[in-house]
Amino acid sequence: MAATSAWLSPPSRTELIENLVSGVDRYNPSNVGILEDYLYHQIRSEEYDCLANLAILKLYQFNPDLFNPDVVINILLKALTAEPFPDFNLCISLLDDRPTNATLDEPDPLPTLLPLLTNLYNLLHQCRFSAFWTLYRSDELEVVRENYTVECAGFEDAIREVAARSVKATFTRISGERLGSYVDLSGSKLEAWVAKQRWTLDPSTGVVSIPPNPDNQIESVVIQEHIKLPQLGKVISHSVQAK
Amino acid sequence: MAHQRVALWAAEPDLDDDINDVDVDIPIPLPSSTNELYDDPNLQLDEGALQAMQQHIAQQAAFAQIPDVVKRFIVHFHQAVLDNNLQEITVAYESGWTRLTEKYYAKTEWPEAETIAPLVNDDQIFLILYRELYYRHVYSRLQPNVDDRFHSYENSCELFNYLLNSDGPVQLSLPAHWLWDIIDEFIYQFQSFSLFRSRPASKTDDELAMLASEGGAQAWSSYSVLNVLYSLIQKSRANEWLKARAEGKSDEEIEEIVGEYGTKPLYRMLGYFSIIGLLRVHVLLGDFTLALKVMENVGLGQKAPFTAPTAVHVSTAYHAGICYLMLRRIPDAARVFTGVLNWVMRARQYHTRSYQYDQINKTADRMYALLALCHVLAPTRLDDNVMNIVRERYGEQIGRMGRGEEGLSTFEELFLYACPKFISANSPPYDDPAALASMLNPPTPTSPTSQSPNTILNDPTQRHLRAMSSHFLSLTPVPSLKSLLKLYTSLDAQKLTGFLDTSGAGADEEEVLSWMMVMKNAGRCVGRVNITGPTANGEKDNEGGSRSSESLLGGDWMSISDLNFVIDQNMVHIAESTVGRRYAGWFIRNSEHTARVLDGIKASPLPPRTAPPVQKKSVDVPKVEGAPRTAGQKVAWGGVKVA
Repeated sequence: MAATSAWLSPPSRTELIENLVSGVDRYNPSNVGILEDYLYHQIRSEEYDCLANLAILKLYQFNPDLFNPDVVINILLKALTAEPFPDFNLCISLLDDRPTNATLDEPDPLPTLLPLLTNLYNLLHQCRFSAFWTLYRSDELEVVRENYTVECAGFEDAIREVAARSVKATFTRISGERLGSYVDLSGSKLEAWVAKQRWTLDPSTGVVSIPPNPDNQIESVVIQEHIKLPQLGKVISHSVQAK
Repeated sequence: MAHQRVALWAAEPDLDDDINDVDVDIPIPLPSSTNELYDDPNLQLDEGALQAMQQHIAQQAAFAQIPDVVKRFIVHFHQAVLDNNLQEITVAYESGWTRLTEKYYAKTEWPEAETIAPLVNDDQIFLILYRELYYRHVYSRLQPNVDDRFHSYENSCELFNYLLNSDGPVQLSLPAHWLWDIIDEFIYQFQSFSLFRSRPASKTDDELAMLASEGGAQAWSSYSVLNVLYSLIQKSRANEWLKARAEGKSDEEIEEIVGEYGTKPLYRMLGYFSIIGLLRVHVLLGDFTLALKVMENVGLGQKAPFTAPTAVHVSTAYHAGICYLMLRRIPDAARVFTGVLNWVMRARQYHTRSYQYDQINKTADRMYALLALCHVLAPTRLDDNVMNIVRERYGEQIGRMGRGEEGLSTFEELFLYACPKFISANSPPYDDPAALASMLNPPTPTSPTSQSPNTILNDPTQRHLRAMSSHFLSLTPVPSLKSLLKLYTSLDAQKLTGFLDTSGAGADEEEVLSWMMVMKNAGRCVGRVNITGPTANGEKDNEGGSRSSESLLGGDWMSISDLNFVIDQNMVHIAESTVGRRYAGWFIRNSEHTARVLDGIKASPLPPRTAPPVQKKSVDVPKVEGAPRTAGQKVAWGGVKVA
C-alpha cells in the first residue's frame, strides 16, 4: 500500500479536508472556498493532495458559475508534478465543456493554456525531459511562468523529481551532461542537486552514479508457481464427495 | 387461478362506475357528474367539460382496445403486489410482462397508466410501478420523445419520494431483479437524457422550449440523480451494514446498526444497488477516483452479500475496470474483467432467462474488447480461457495495435466501441438562445493561432479518448524496442539507435533513451493484483478474505514486464524473466472436467434398452464441451513461453 497511501491521504490533510473529500459534504458548493484555500496552501508549502483538488473540479463540474480558471490551472500544474501517476488526466477528465463565457471582464486564460499544459504533460509522460524544459522556457509559456509557476513553490524542483524517478529506475550510471539536460541544471547547481539525491558525481569523469534500488537492479529469474494445499481444498473435497 | 380471474372480470362494470367518482383528482378534472351528462344531451357543455368528456371517451376507447389477457395480467399483477407475494411478482415481472410485450406491444406502448387505472382501483403506488415498466419499455423498444423523457423523470421522482419520504419504511416487497432494474434504468435514463440534451443542433422548437423551461433545467440534473442514490444509501445504511458484516458482527448487532429501514430487504437491496449505481454515475461523469472510492465497502468480488442478479456483477466489473483503465492501472483492470468474464462464462448455462441476457452479452463483449486494449498497453499473463476468447474476437485488432502509430485508429475504434457513453454534467445554455446560437455556430476565431475553444473541450468521450490515445502513442516504440532487446544481454546504446533507425524515423540516441525510460515506466505500475497472494492470479477462490477491507484505490508498485534492463552510461544490460510452467490451473480444470464426466456417466442410465437419445445427451454434453476446451488449452500452454 506504500505506493498509494500518501496519494490517498497525504499526511498534511486536515480532518476538515478529509471530511470534505470522503463525505457527501463534498457536493456542497459553499465549501469550495475551503478547498480552494487548501489548494493555495499546497502551492505555498510544496504539498500536494490530488483527491482534494479533484473535489474542487467536481464542484466546478456541477456548478459552472463557481468556475475559476486560475484555480484550474494551478491544479493542473500541481498534477503535472505527479507523473508517472495519471493525476493530470484525472483532472482533465473532470473539465467539462463550458459555454464560452463572454461576460467575464478578463478573457478566460484556460482555452489557450490548456493545449500548452497538455503538451508539457505529454513530454513528461514520454520522458522527453530536455524537450520539456525547452518548451517550458519558451516565450509561448512566459504567461504560465510569470503568472502561475512563479507562485507555485518548488514547481521546478518537483518536475526534476519526476525526471529523477525515471532516471533512477533506468540508469546505474549516467553522464552528468545528459542528466543536466534532463533536470535543466549545470555546474555547481547540478552538483548540489545530485548530492541532494544522494547520488555521486565523479568529478574526473563527470559521470553520476546512482545507488542500487529495486528498479535498476536486474536479474534473470524463473518465476515458479507456488501452490499451497489449502488452495486446492475445494477440488480435493469435491473429489472426496464424488466417491 | 383462471376462475379467480374470471370472477374478477365479472365485476368489470362496477369497477368502471367507480372510476367516475375517483377520477376527481386527475389534473384536468372529469366532472363528477359525467353520468348526468350522458343522461341529458341537451345540457349546455362548456369547453372544459367537453374536453374532459372527450378525454374520458378516448380513454374508454383505449381501454376497450386492451386485450382481455392483458387486462387480466394487470389485475393479477396488481394483486400480487398488494399481497407482497414475491413469487407471483417475479413471475409477472420476468415472464408475464415480457411475453405480453412480445405478443402485443413489440412496436407500440403499453396502455397508459391512466387507462388501466380502473383495473387496479386507481392504486397510485401500483400505477407508479406500472409507469416505471411502461417507460422502460418505451426506452428499450421505442424512441422516447421529449414528453416521455420528462414524464419518466417525474415518475422516478414520485417512486423515490414514496420510498424515501413516507412515514417509516413502506410495506412493499419487490424481487431483487426488479429493484436492480429500477436503479439501473434510472441511471440509464439519466444518461440517455444527458446525451439527448447535449445535442442542441437537432432539436425541434417544442423540444427547445421544454429544455429551456424551468423544469427542463431541473429534470435529470446530476444533483438530483446523486441525491436519490445517496439518500437510498443513507436511508438503508448500506455502507454501515457492509462494514458491520465485514467486521463479523452478529445479526442482532447488525440489525441495530442498520435501523428500521436497513432491516427491510427492499431498502437493503436498494441501498446496495445504489452504491453500484453511484459507481456508474461517477464513471459516466468522468470521476474515476470517486467512483472507486464509493465502492470501498462493497469490494470487487463475485461475493455479493445476497443473491444479486448477474447484471449487478457485470455492471460492477465493467465500470470498475474502466476506472482502473483510466487510472492506467492496467493489471487491475484486466483482473477485474477476467474475473467477471470467467464467472459469466460459467454461469451462462444457468441464464436461460433472456430479458437481461442480451445486455449482459453486450457488456461482456465490450469487456473482451477492453481486455484486448489492456493486453496491448500492458501485456501480462491472464486467464487462458478468457484470453482465448479475446484472441478469437479481437486477435486481428491486437495485431494491428502492435504496429506502432498506425495502430492508433484501431485503438481508438476499439475504445470508442467498448467505453461507456460518457456524459456532461451540465446542459447547453437552452435558457439563453443567444449563447446557444453562438455555441451552435461558433463565431470564427479572431486569432488564427488559437483553436476555437469549443474544439478544445468538447465531447467528454473524446476527452477521455485523447488521454488514452496519448498514453497509447507514448508506448508505441516499446514493442519493437522490446523485441530487439530480447536478442541481447548487453548492447551499446548507439548500436541500438542504429538498429532502430533503419525504419528511417531519424531516431537519435537521446530519443531512444527517452523510449527506454518510457519502457521502464511501462514495465511497472501500481496495482492490487499481488496483494493477496503469490503470482498465481488464476486462483480466484482464495482471495475472498481481505478484499473488502482494503481500499480499491490502494496498491503497490509491481513489475509487470518480463524483460528488464538497466543502462550503465551507454551500455544497456538486459535480463529476461521467464515464467515456469504452471500446473495448478491445468490440474484444477482437468479435475473438474473429470468430475463432470464421472457425474455424467453416473447419471446416465445403464446400457441400451431404455431410450437411447436421453442417454446420449447426458453423456455427450460434457464430452463435447470438454474436447475443444482441451485443444484450446494446448494453444494457451504454447503461449506461456511467449509471455
